[in-house]
Amino acid sequence: MTDDQLDAAYTALSCALTDAGAERGELVLARLALLLMHELDDPARIMRAIETARVSASPNRQEESPCSR
Amino acid sequence: MLATYFDYRRHPVRLPRLDGGADAVRHRAAIVGGGPIGLSLALGLARYGVPSVVLEADDTVCTGSRAACISRRSLEIFAALGCEAPMLAKGLAWTGGRSYYRDTEVFRLSMPHDENQRFPPMINLQQCFAEQFLVDEAARYADLVDIRWQSKVTGVTPGADGARLAVETPGGTYSLDAGWVVACDGARSAVRQALGLKLEGTQYEGRYVIVDILLRSDYPTERRAWFDPPSNPGSTLLMHKQPDDIWRIDYQLRDDEDPDEAVKPENVLPRVASHLAMIGERQDWEPVWISMYKANALTLPSYRHGRVLFAGDAAHLVPIFGVRGMNSGIDDTHNLAWKLALVDRGLAPEALLDTYSDERVHATRENLRYATKSTEFMAPPSHGFALMREAVLSLAAEHAWVRPLVNPRQTSAIAFPDSALNAFAARSAAFEAGPRPGEVLPECPLERVDGMYGHVTDLLGPCFTALVFCPEGAVPADLQTALARLARGAVPFAAVAVASRRAPGATLPTAVDAGGRAARLFGAEGGAVYLVRPDGHVCARWRDGAAGEIEVALRRAVCASVPEMR
Repeated sequence: MTDDQLDAAYTALSCALTDAGAERGELVLARLALLLMHELDDPARIMRAIETARVSASPNRQEESPCSR
Repeated sequence: MLATYFDYRRHPVRLPRLDGGADAVRHRAAIVGGGPIGLSLALGLARYGVPSVVLEADDTVCTGSRAACISRRSLEIFAALGCEAPMLAKGLAWTGGRSYYRDTEVFRLSMPHDENQRFPPMINLQQCFAEQFLVDEAARYADLVDIRWQSKVTGVTPGADGARLAVETPGGTYSLDAGWVVACDGARSAVRQALGLKLEGTQYEGRYVIVDILLRSDYPTERRAWFDPPSNPGSTLLMHKQPDDIWRIDYQLRDDEDPDEAVKPENVLPRVASHLAMIGERQDWEPVWISMYKANALTLPSYRHGRVLFAGDAAHLVPIFGVRGMNSGIDDTHNLAWKLALVDRGLAPEALLDTYSDERVHATRENLRYATKSTEFMAPPSHGFALMREAVLSLAAEHAWVRPLVNPRQTSAIAFPDSALNAFAARSAAFEAGPRPGEVLPECPLERVDGMYGHVTDLLGPCFTALVFCPEGAVPADLQTALARLARGAVPFAAVAVASRRAPGATLPTAVDAGGRAARLFGAEGGAVYLVRPDGHVCARWRDGAAGEIEVALRRAVCASVPEMR
């Protein structure tokens, strides 16, 4: 992928998220992530990417995480 | 007033002969709880000649469909207990299902099934029928199974060589001594509470309403699941057909709904009506039973506490999705019955019962692993799970690769690859096919020893079984000697030959595998010996060397002492 191609993908995703609106944007991202997982087809790289993508929890988060157990 | 479809037989209280407020008889085994687990265990013990007393608080079998799906493994166990025929005759067999997202079908469930199978992967049967068939079967063992209705256990005093139970009945209270006590008294086990034991694990917040309705419909028996259906936006809904025109509907409540209000008919019936209208059911219908369900993933860390043992919901609570509740409890009893019988009869040390706990705690952890996945999809426990589910469901109609995530992961038999009762791993490694030590037997049709059409699992009796695959019909002399020696031993044992034809003068009873299908399935085309436990799990298998090692494997499988081994 060239810099230009990366730039085009960046713009396309930005537009897709904008078109979906703030509430539905995360569904677009979740669908995209699943589609890319399938394309990548490499469990180790997928897991590494998920770890890299993590951000610290929002101070407004209200749910308790069911994932620590 | 709710409709009824089941003719409940009410059983009177029966007090035993008392001696100073105590049952005059000391019992070998007392089973607390006369549900499907307690009754299966009592029948299991009876197969080994061990009498038991079953203490059931109620005066009849359970109300409502409750555990409405019986798995293939449970049918195999019921067959060993001799009561699968009425279950199969009454139950509705099924092999698959459909999942819908909104109004679109996104997944087709297909459970493992082929022409080798003796039983369907699943039947739907209201729990009251299953319990009644077990009660009917127990009546055939009147000298071995003593069911005491309306007898509630309110206290347990453990001792070194047994336990004393406090029993409360409408006719008075008494105490009862037993050498072994098995708690099969369900999710709110009184025995568990009396011993101060706590379940460990996770309780989920999501609540489901379960409603049985009477509805005449020709729609076939399959599992249908709707995610976010137009009839009940935002909800998840399941539908199963049961005998006698009873349909089981389960739906999830929103987090903000008051559960006490939610189970009131005026709140349940409109949702059901809306759903039936959506799927095109136009017949009149009426509600039969309404209940509430909350998913739990909990277990005791150990199912043996001295002379007190735990089975079924008393030992573990598994989420409903994947139908591992009653089915795993029935598997518990099949594991426990032979072990408890051998220990009670002095044929095995008590350590054998620790393997019941080890193996079945392992099974629970496996069941919880699968059931938790199912639960997280059916009832997402957080925003992240809900979002990913929507992503999956919205892609599933177009993208086949994502559909396995929609699979409800139905129950299957759990293997014990690390069981202390397994032996000779290196011998097993030489096979290219067939069940490994710790796994249950795969099914395959063949001609039984009695010449009738049957299956591999028909060959197992209430004993250890050596399946001797001998393609040419001849059993080597040293193996014959070893098998004959085991057959003379105290531990129940039988050997069955599996051969392409019945050889004249054969020394072993022979099952005929004419086309060699069983031999291929067991990786035994060149001859092999499988040593199988009474519960159908393989202990060890040999292509060579069985004659010199099978006795060692059998001793190991009953925790007999090593020094006596050759």
